[in-house]
Amino acid sequence: MTKAKRSILCWAALSPLLVVAIFPYATMLSTALKQKDEVFAVDQSWLPRGLYLDNFTRLLFERNFGQAVLNSLTISLGATLLSLAVAIPAAYALTRLSVPGKPFFRNYLLITQMISPIVLIIGLFRMFAYFGMINSQTSVIIAHSAFYMAFAVWMLQSYFATIPRELEEAAWLDGASRFTGFVRVFLPLCLPGVVVTALFTFVSSWNEYAMSLTFLRDASQQTAPVQIAFLTGTLYQIEWEMIMAATLIASLPVAIIFAFIQKYLIGGLALGGVK
Amino acid sequence: MSLHGSDLTLSSTAARSLRAAGTRRRRSLPLLGLLLIAPSLALSITVIGYPIFDVLRMALFEVNRFGRLGDFVGLAHFVDAFSDPIFVQAAWQTVIWTLSVVGGTVLISVPVAIILSEDFYGRMIARTVILLPWAISLAMTAVVWRYVVNGDFGTLNMTLSALGLPFANYPWLAYPTTAFVIEILVGILVSIPFTVTIIMGGLTSIPRTLYEASALDGASTVRSFTSITLPLLRPFMQIAVVLNVIYVFNSFPIIWIMTNGGPSNRTDILITYVYKQAFVFGNLGNAAAGSVAMFAMLLLFAALYLTLTRSTETAEND
Repeated sequence: MTKAKRSILCWAALSPLLVVAIFPYATMLSTALKQKDEVFAVDQSWLPRGLYLDNFTRLLFERNFGQAVLNSLTISLGATLLSLAVAIPAAYALTRLSVPGKPFFRNYLLITQMISPIVLIIGLFRMFAYFGMINSQTSVIIAHSAFYMAFAVWMLQSYFATIPRELEEAAWLDGASRFTGFVRVFLPLCLPGVVVTALFTFVSSWNEYAMSLTFLRDASQQTAPVQIAFLTGTLYQIEWEMIMAATLIASLPVAIIFAFIQKYLIGGLALGGVK
Repeated sequence: MSLHGSDLTLSSTAARSLRAAGTRRRRSLPLLGLLLIAPSLALSITVIGYPIFDVLRMALFEVNRFGRLGDFVGLAHFVDAFSDPIFVQAAWQTVIWTLSVVGGTVLISVPVAIILSEDFYGRMIARTVILLPWAISLAMTAVVWRYVVNGDFGTLNMTLSALGLPFANYPWLAYPTTAFVIEILVGILVSIPFTVTIIMGGLTSIPRTLYEASALDGASTVRSFTSITLPLLRPFMQIAVVLNVIYVFNSFPIIWIMTNGGPSNRTDILITYVYKQAFVFGNLGNAAAGSVAMFAMLLLFAALYLTLTRSTETAEND
């Protein structure tokens, strides 16, 4: 079979799934560019009348959706920094140092990675309530870091293991301390791995729903996904054209990040998490 | 020249012994190791460990709707929850939800992973599109699908009508059965990327030479699929199934956003039941008992996962 023939067969076999995967994006884009009367018209079409961008500007400036995006950004950046701050030392210790109880810690991480926060949500809510942190973004940052840290450690560990020890040891011979060796030699070499891990943590935190929904009760503190889902629950006529514009804003940037880093995830899963 | 040479040897021997001393000195630092692990451990033990303790406590003690704890009541909350017909219904629906989503996902993912491992034009584009649902928040996926299947102005009915099918105003989410089926299909769609990724990893681990050898022996494509691909994929499929079960049985956003467990609790699963008990009805004892039951199941699956991965590891080492 020639490659051209095979390509046609493969695309044909995948086409139903591809259509279903693209369907929501097409819906988002088509609806976000429509005007209100087009959305609720009897005769509908996929193509909007024209390039109508008012939904986006109204969303950001009139509906205060910009605040929600900003909240999401703060929380995702905070969670990324905090989880990297604890995961980098842990991953370094796991790959380079002898730590008593290392296998136990590894299994512990694996198990925490499988614990879904939603099962413990009542306990989490009460803990943050006790510290007066309901409606504070810090609570979500801490919770996200705790739950996404295990994945970050796994991911970093698999990168750290690929850096030859000799490079650091050479730095020590030249009189560098372990810390300088780590910061000046080791970390720059691992930078791609650290960046990829950071991006994954960022995307996970950006997309998280249940904890943000539960800990942030006040509309001014809510993240973008929570606020969008909230908009669909209003009793009066739901403004789908606005909601679709909002989902587009909330999903497109992370989808683009993800498209670039997905090949690392395949490698990371093969190296650490799954095998 | 020779002097130079011996000089070099000397210095490299010196370097080696120095390095040996250096690494010995630097490698055995259990205290530093513990110190570096401590922050991550402290964070996760506080944020994950304390709520476990608290939920257990609420499940076993009297608790009012403001969360104040009273007397020890033993298993009373569990008895209450398990005798609530809605709990039983939600538990049953959880089984249907989990089996259908995981089963459907694996059935679709294996052929898709095999196709994506073929060499064809535009493979990277196809792969990216199929993995795309992974990138997007489950909440956003649920919101968009809720609009897609909207009876009056959703794009699904619009497309079906354009194809001449009689679904002009069919309110998919208003009927329990169609609502649940649609949620299951969305659940499958969002689980495919992860599963395809694992199975593709499994496919790359199968040596090409096996297929070449079986082709030489005159085996058909079907035969080499059933005798080589499937058996060698088995450990990966097991892992994919267990991890998917873990992720799916307590998946919250899809059902919460699309139907909120309705109509009349017919799409509730355990996690939406527990969430409602806690945050809508203020029935904390019931909710805690449900949480503990789900947490126990989660640990069971996690233990299963650990034994599965350990057995494949030892099999590889042998």
